[in-house]
Amino acid sequence: MGKIVVPFGSQHVALPEPISFLFDTENEIITKVEAHIGYVHRGIEKAAITRFEYNQLPYLTARVCGLCSITHAGAVVHGIEKLMDIEVNKRIDYLRMLVVELDRIHSHMLANGHVAEVVGYENLFMQTFRAREDVMDVLERITGNRVQYDYQTIGGVARDIDLETAEFAKKKLKKLKENVLKVMEFHDSDYTFGLKTKGVGVISKEMAAKYNTAGPIARASGLETDVRAEFDYLPFEEVGYKMQTRKEGDVWARNMVRFDEVLNSIEMCENILDNLPQGEHQVKVKGRPKGETVVRVEAPRGECFYYLKASGKKVMDRVRIRVPTYANIPILKELFLGAKYSDAQAIVLSFDPCMSCTAR
Amino acid sequence: MLKMFIESLKNLVSEPETIKYPFEPSPEPKGYRGTIHYNEELCIFCDKCENICPPGAIKFVVVDYETGKKEYNYNPYLCIYCGACVRECPKADEGCLVQVETRTPPLGRSVPKGKELGYFINRIDNPKEVESKWREIEELNIKTKEEYKAYKKAKRAQKAAAKAKGEE
Repeated sequence: MGKIVVPFGSQHVALPEPISFLFDTENEIITKVEAHIGYVHRGIEKAAITRFEYNQLPYLTARVCGLCSITHAGAVVHGIEKLMDIEVNKRIDYLRMLVVELDRIHSHMLANGHVAEVVGYENLFMQTFRAREDVMDVLERITGNRVQYDYQTIGGVARDIDLETAEFAKKKLKKLKENVLKVMEFHDSDYTFGLKTKGVGVISKEMAAKYNTAGPIARASGLETDVRAEFDYLPFEEVGYKMQTRKEGDVWARNMVRFDEVLNSIEMCENILDNLPQGEHQVKVKGRPKGETVVRVEAPRGECFYYLKASGKKVMDRVRIRVPTYANIPILKELFLGAKYSDAQAIVLSFDPCMSCTAR
Repeated sequence: MLKMFIESLKNLVSEPETIKYPFEPSPEPKGYRGTIHYNEELCIFCDKCENICPPGAIKFVVVDYETGKKEYNYNPYLCIYCGACVRECPKADEGCLVQVETRTPPLGRSVPKGKELGYFINRIDNPKEVESKWREIEELNIKTKEEYKAYKKAKRAQKAAAKAKGEE
């Protein structure tokens, strides 16, 4: 058999976002990969240093990505607060942590649901998304919108949480935990799901370290890397954060690591809601940002990196964003070589690629 | 596999998770970030909301240079409903700028009307004109502000000259 080139993307039923792969295949085995990203480039980094002032940046960077809008807004807010020497109180930290973790829950549930869908298990996909709806309701109630949260602002959060909302969130989180455990059981022990995911796209620990992978992909291979533990930006340890790792490193393990993190995040959210400190939800802000700084935050997909530079003007000098998906593309290309074409969808989706982040 | 089969069968008799939206109303949840309502009587024209608005959906246009009267123009179809203007407004507690919990209706055959939406949307009848008319407002916003600045400067110079003359 000769060589056949199979295009995968940029428009494909299995892909939620536009990325294009060109596979050279021989007898359905992939021998060469070419990846193209950047279909959704919007020039956000340029807009951040020309059109928008520093206090509008959280609203702009929230629109880098729909799924981790809280992460991007949080990162830029944290950076600007560092540049302006703003100290926020404990309550603001806790409220920020709450939305960050809720964001992680819904992003992970979406990723796991998509993996189930592309391996041909539509039913499990629907069950996962049904369970996910509860956390969307909680976020909508807390922030006031379903997708674009705009919750973190410079010097605080947009609105305080009242007793009624906290009770609502607790009730929903309890229901969510039951549902997650049920769905996790299906992902864990279902025979047909295992056939398509166990032993597919295996990354060893050495490989993960060599290619410098980030997020759940690294942790599924047993590599202990998590910005929440490494970089001090919010007091995660106080509310019961534990690093979740698995050893297998295949598609299945990446799914299970995400579920472990979801359960850990639910526990953290419950702790936050039970022990919310007293205080104002906004602190006074004065002056303009000056100097340069680096921010690392743990997005649902891994380490998200921000470099900010300002010189006391209204408009920043430089805003550089590096997102986790970009860091994971080299190993993704490596994984395809020698894999079957029919496994390609599961491998791509298990990485939870976010192209609108990557292309910005 | 069997477990999932039983779970799926249960779905046939359990309550639906979705709502039949076009046939049933889809109510806004509590605390929803909806339309921005404005009260001109309380406004002190500090322009803070205009300066913070990320998409630039609030524009003030100076209509009378003598008195410095400004008109509040708000484009609900450019607004991202982030609520930054309300947080910035010094008179928000009294009800100058309020974010209500109802959605703006989608732009269909008619344009929503109401005094609380400002001048811009009330002067338009054809929904197709919203975009082009907003561009005019944006140009007017820059032009009138510059002219007003120049007018004030000229007036100050005039006053100073008159004062100097009086002293002589």
